[in-house]
Amino acid sequence: MKQKQKYIAIFLFLLPALLLFVGLLIAPIIMSIYYSLFNWNGLRALDPAKDFVGLKNYATLFNERIQFGSALKNAFILAGLSVFLQLPFSLALALALGKKIKGERAFLSIYFLPVLISTVVIGQLWLKIYNPEYGILNTFLRKLGYEGENIRWLGDQSIALGAVFVPTLWQYVGYHMLLLYAGVKGVSPELREAAKLDGCTDWQVNWNVVIPTIKPIIKVSVIFAVTGSLKSFDLIYVLTNGGPMKATEVPSIIMINQLFKANQYGIGSAIAVLLIILCFFFAILIGFVFKERDIYGKK
Amino acid sequence: MEKNNQVNVEQSSLKLDTSKYHVKKTNKGLRVLVFVGLILWAFINLFPIYWMFTFSLKTNEEIFGENVAGLPREWQWENYDTAFWGKGGRDKKAAGNVDGTEVGGFQLPKIIRQFINSVIITVTTILISIFAAMMATFAISRIQWKLSKLTYSMFMLGLTIPIHASLLPVYKTISSLGLLNTYTSLILPYSAFSLAMSILICSGFMEDIPKELDEAAYIDGAGLWKTFIKVIVPLMKPALATIGIYTFLQCWNELMFANQFISSGDKITLPVGIQQLSGQYLTEWGPIGAALVIATFPTLIVYIFFSKKIQDSFIAGAVKG
Amino acid sequence: MKRILAVLLVLAMVFSLAACSKDDDKKTSDNNNTNTSNTSTDSSVLDKEITLTLWDIAVEGDGNRPAYDSALADLKAKYPKVTINETVTENNAYKTKIKSAMGANELPDIFFTWAGAFLGDFVNAGKVHCLDDVLQPWIDNGEMTAAQLGNSTYNGKHYGVPTTYNIVTLFANMDILASVGYDHIPATMDELNDCCDKLLAKNIIPFGCAGKTDDTWCVTEYLEPIIEKTIGAAALKDIMTFGKTWNNQGVASSVDLLQSMIKKGYFDPDGMALGNEEVKANFMSGKYAFYQNGSWNCGDFANKEKVKFNVKAGEFPVVDAANGKLGMLIGGPSDTIAVSEGPNAEAAAAFAVELGRLICHYGYLKGSGLPAWKVWGDTSEVLPIVQEVAAICANAVDYVLFGDNAMPADEAAIYLEYVSSVYGGAVDGAAFIKGLTSEIR
Repeated sequence: MKQKQKYIAIFLFLLPALLLFVGLLIAPIIMSIYYSLFNWNGLRALDPAKDFVGLKNYATLFNERIQFGSALKNAFILAGLSVFLQLPFSLALALALGKKIKGERAFLSIYFLPVLISTVVIGQLWLKIYNPEYGILNTFLRKLGYEGENIRWLGDQSIALGAVFVPTLWQYVGYHMLLLYAGVKGVSPELREAAKLDGCTDWQVNWNVVIPTIKPIIKVSVIFAVTGSLKSFDLIYVLTNGGPMKATEVPSIIMINQLFKANQYGIGSAIAVLLIILCFFFAILIGFVFKERDIYGKK
Repeated sequence: MEKNNQVNVEQSSLKLDTSKYHVKKTNKGLRVLVFVGLILWAFINLFPIYWMFTFSLKTNEEIFGENVAGLPREWQWENYDTAFWGKGGRDKKAAGNVDGTEVGGFQLPKIIRQFINSVIITVTTILISIFAAMMATFAISRIQWKLSKLTYSMFMLGLTIPIHASLLPVYKTISSLGLLNTYTSLILPYSAFSLAMSILICSGFMEDIPKELDEAAYIDGAGLWKTFIKVIVPLMKPALATIGIYTFLQCWNELMFANQFISSGDKITLPVGIQQLSGQYLTEWGPIGAALVIATFPTLIVYIFFSKKIQDSFIAGAVKG
Repeated sequence: MKRILAVLLVLAMVFSLAACSKDDDKKTSDNNNTNTSNTSTDSSVLDKEITLTLWDIAVEGDGNRPAYDSALADLKAKYPKVTINETVTENNAYKTKIKSAMGANELPDIFFTWAGAFLGDFVNAGKVHCLDDVLQPWIDNGEMTAAQLGNSTYNGKHYGVPTTYNIVTLFANMDILASVGYDHIPATMDELNDCCDKLLAKNIIPFGCAGKTDDTWCVTEYLEPIIEKTIGAAALKDIMTFGKTWNNQGVASSVDLLQSMIKKGYFDPDGMALGNEEVKANFMSGKYAFYQNGSWNCGDFANKEKVKFNVKAGEFPVVDAANGKLGMLIGGPSDTIAVSEGPNAEAAAAFAVELGRLICHYGYLKGSGLPAWKVWGDTSEVLPIVQEVAAICANAVDYVLFGDNAMPADEAAIYLEYVSSVYGGAVDGAAFIKGLTSEIR
């Protein structure tokens, strides 16, 4: 095959994907990087000479008022909870369901349900659950004998963060569970049997055979969990939009508020750029960590 | 534990006669415990949905204290009337003032129209995404060239980009193409944002197709195009459902772009519609509940019928990806 | 032929309107005059086939929706060739939507906006059509006054059509007040404190106020009147509109006063977790004695099906008589209709003026605000509670625009963050003025 012809073919094959990708993903990133260097409100025409501020927007992010650092900290907490609480829990579910338990399919279907339901619906539902006066949670606590003041789940600075994380984590347990379940099911039965014949308990089989085998899937799950946490927006937006008093702010919330409430397009764009860099960095980092640890040498 | 094991081994060795592969039984107590745990978690997942269904049929008085978690005492079906047809319910239709949309001579509630819009947009997105991803994956993984790895990593970058960050730039692009207020205005960005995942899945599936097939085709004198269409595409069928599921999850519930790019009432998508509804009945929980149920119901029905297929495809994606 | 028909139709309509008004009410003889004075606007641009896009926030269930419906129906009858494509968006989503539409040069022909700095940003970007030409005839014949246009006037040019204007109003549940021996809204701070203490003794929460992030403006509806009645309208206007420093002891003591009221339990402790709609619903169900918010709520509170008790409208008492006076009000014409630059601008402008005027008319009749235009038509059915608000306005000494409307968006965002911290108890008066002084001025 002639080289030139080959490259034309490659180009043509890539063309639809490239058009979409460059036009709607890469170009916006480049535009965001560009905007992030200006003091601009997003409304009037940008005057490159007058509005240029260099990297000042990135420094502004960390001042006392915007407190991007604390939003980032919240996102990291969410990522940590996601990796060390949500994923192990999902893995436990996947392992339990992976061994032909009664009603396996029914459980799978039920656990995956919250993933399918619109975040707007989930958000509205949890707003009602958390309502201080009529919400199901406080009503339930009062039935149990709680007699203090209404607990203001989304209005109290000290508990609001936890209160928005619970549904955020809950919603995607099913997603990770199904991913991991796929891996568990993919472990060849012979491998399990062999381990069992060697006298391993179920627990040991899971720990020594199943988990190492599904490491690539765990890796994917961890990457999704971390980048998803860093990008998290929808549910928190519906529940608190960052309040009370910034207690539940995450980077995407600040970004949207800077872009469209405070008319600080430059600062908002700077957050977008930082988020992309962070997500990319963590995706690579996680890949690297798993490579190092992967003693079985599987991809 | 040690003792337990021995007992187990004894048991299983006894059974070895009848069934060669039945080696070990888990502790029965533990099994029950696990099962109870699974049921409990299922309950936690179902309860909000059950609660939503019941409060959609209650009056505010019941929801606000008299009967919070039980079944409705008197089923308030008019909540659904309100959610479907707007305040005043369907009777408003007589006055010619219904919140509906006319389709082929039939009055449809707005929310059905929004559901249809969402279906059109999602299905087209899935098709484009599959088409573009298969072609790109073919170029990356079946043709030898220098930059193929780099191209692949570049596409994977798409997995990390927060969709919200690009609202204004994408908006500008869409508007300069003159596409605002069309289905295309959402289909294009949705396709772009689901492309990375689709390529990831595609490459997993394509790896499973033996390279020998391609080579055989070349030897028969088929070019790259013919190989792609005659050999690869037919073998990629299992990937289609998988990409479909992942793409569906990505765009079915998307709110921000949907709210921004489409302004004309007859093209808005379901999530935008629900947001509007919940804004309208903020303090009347019954109709909100009804609206939430209506919004969830179609997805739920489809899911119940196809849950096995959906799960299998999702699983396939996980293994291949 | 078509043209003749159209002329006949218009004539028929004018006559029927005139006839109606005669039957309805003899007092308003200037009604006729008003309707025919439309000819002073050159509306020939609206006599050809044209489609105009309109964006607003009057969602179903919003107090303004009935006014929009009636106004659009009237104009549809009057200009049958004009097609209006209306897009209605929920308040908070609307702000994002209109701003990015602006950034992408995709503004609709006619759009709802807030006067003050919000519209100002749009005007500065050069994307809003100047309305001097279409407004002038109305100013000349006295239907619209320069004072009402003030908030949407930039560099001496008018860019907005005011619809209704609103003031912060202290709404009181008179049935609850009667239960603690008050037959009037407390008129002094002493009375107010006494009344609140009595309410607390009976386990009734005096005030409801939403504190959720997007509803921080509700807190300003309490804070701004307190500041104004402490330091006076002129001083507050200097700070909010004319860029004087926030470093003002009176502001600090006002913040402390609000916080002391919160500490005493005068405010619903759940407020921080609630949105405005929920708080408003609580007031309407009789949970609070007072609810201080915009006068646009009048229509809802006068709805006897939903509100089973008597609601009266008043103003917050004077805090410091040295500077504050009754009649110093927060508010003004804020709801505004604007027109974007573009090929349809001329027709849109002619349409927008009439739309604004009609929304004003119907809004006033239906209790969603006070009229920014000269009142016309039969006003005998204006709700009593709206008349109470109108009486307050009749004695107005001065108006200061709502803070978050008066300030540019970036400053407003900072201001609202501080106000939210005040409501949450994280920032006291001294820290409030110190922070705003250093971050704004």
